[in-house]
Amino acid sequence: MSMIRFDNLCKRYESGYEALRGVSFEMDAGEMAFLTGHSGAGKSTLLKLLMLIERPTSGSLLINGKNINRLPHSKIPFYRRQVGVVFQNHQLLFDRSVFENVALPLQVAGYSQADTGRRVRAALDTVGLLDREKHNPIALSGGEQQRVGIARAVVHKPKILLADEPTGNLDPQLSAEIMALFKRFQDVGVTVLVASHDINLINRMDMRIMRLNQGQMEQDGVSYGGY
Amino acid sequence: MAATNSRARDGGQRGARGQALSRIDKWQSYRQHHQTTLKSSALKILREPLQSLLTILVIAIALTLPSALYLSVENIRQLSGGVDASAQISVFVKKGARESALESLTAKLEGLSGVASVTYISAQAARDEFEALSGFGSALQYLDENPLPDSFLVRPLLIGDATRLVTEIRELKLVDDVQLDLEWLQRLDALLDMGRKLVLALGVALGLGVILVVGNTIRLAIQSRRDEITVVKMVGGTDAYVRRPFLYSGLLFGLFGAVVAAIILTGLGFWLAGPVNTLALLYQSQFSITGLGFGGFVALLLIGGSVGLIGAWLAVGQHLRNIQPR
Repeated sequence: MSMIRFDNLCKRYESGYEALRGVSFEMDAGEMAFLTGHSGAGKSTLLKLLMLIERPTSGSLLINGKNINRLPHSKIPFYRRQVGVVFQNHQLLFDRSVFENVALPLQVAGYSQADTGRRVRAALDTVGLLDREKHNPIALSGGEQQRVGIARAVVHKPKILLADEPTGNLDPQLSAEIMALFKRFQDVGVTVLVASHDINLINRMDMRIMRLNQGQMEQDGVSYGGY
Repeated sequence: MAATNSRARDGGQRGARGQALSRIDKWQSYRQHHQTTLKSSALKILREPLQSLLTILVIAIALTLPSALYLSVENIRQLSGGVDASAQISVFVKKGARESALESLTAKLEGLSGVASVTYISAQAARDEFEALSGFGSALQYLDENPLPDSFLVRPLLIGDATRLVTEIRELKLVDDVQLDLEWLQRLDALLDMGRKLVLALGVALGLGVILVVGNTIRLAIQSRRDEITVVKMVGGTDAYVRRPFLYSGLLFGLFGAVVAAIILTGLGFWLAGPVNTLALLYQSQFSITGLGFGGFVALLLIGGSVGLIGAWLAVGQHLRNIQPR
């Protein structure tokens, strides 16, 4: 069964702007794919639909076989606990340590303190920042901050990992490291969807690429044939 | 690198088994979150001492005013309570009433509703008392006849009933005259009644004020923690989870305000105790001020806490919905 399934999905904003026009695709559990396209092509909207920040106007969105179109508001938090999200601006909180930032999804879900400590350290170890747990994230470099953001996104072992321009502010070397990190999560069975317009980087990854153009799926395949 | 890889894989397998958390785990961590939230809310109040102190003082003053008025009314009521017992209606009987008629009048007086007691004072007893107390006793000896009539002393249960009793007694046969010298007490009673209503009105008005003050403080706190709320919602925090720290803040503001109000009221009591005791001494009264007491303190805490909680709840309900991840 596919983990993510978009069925002829449309999203029209209240302003009348049509961000997505009949998008259909599927992603299997443990699959990794890139989502690309010009800005305004609908990448962000597609991710927002997956995070239930926005609701589709028509069509259906199935996660793990379950239609989440009409998921009630009170159930949204529990849905989001199965999803990890990495933001371009990483959205870390600077009033607390790296450890506390990464621990947030676990605290919210009600993990015990001992369990939290163990899982946070495992996640920080995975992104190579175990020695920074007591630092304030503001003292870290851009690449390190993004890795803290990734640790926070995966600390609760989500089934799905979404990333919105995760390498937007990083140099090619750091970007490649971040992408390698995502690949590692795919290796352990996480479904990974990365929105990025960093074409050079994407091409080197040899992965499935979905290209949106004006709200429609223009291309979907392993080799990148555009441009 | 190999080590981290295997760790990630190990974690992934654990993840694949699902996020099964036992009920006990959840309950413990729920309780723990309540504790840590309470602690961090208290710390946040302490971390901004000036802003917090201002809020707490406003709440304290708003609680102090109606409480002080309430205590004043209660104290005056106690004072008048002592006079209540001496509130008497003197009923003078027409001259020459027969023994049997007097007996039936006694029964009628006792039968009136709101009467606490009826005491018969014969003309002779009245004369004896007058002689003993007035010092004009010798003057009475020049009179052939006792000028004093038979009389009854009627004690009402409540001062408020006195006027009605007077009219009712006046209509009874054989009653010559009825005297009630306690109009000032009735006025005091009416005043106290007004005072109590004033306490209620003032309490409600200032209570609403406290709700607004706490609401505004919480609103500012919500604005300043906007980023945190967004992230918490994004990683799956429920509305209740997001709400909790703000509700605790409101509760704590209310409780601290109530404690400060209690301190102010106690201080006020001590400050007034001196002059009141002097005054009481001058009137040869045993009266002394009754303070808030333990029950009053608990009531103040309950009122302050609930008003703070309501204010926070309203602010949270209004503003948290607007903060959503983008």
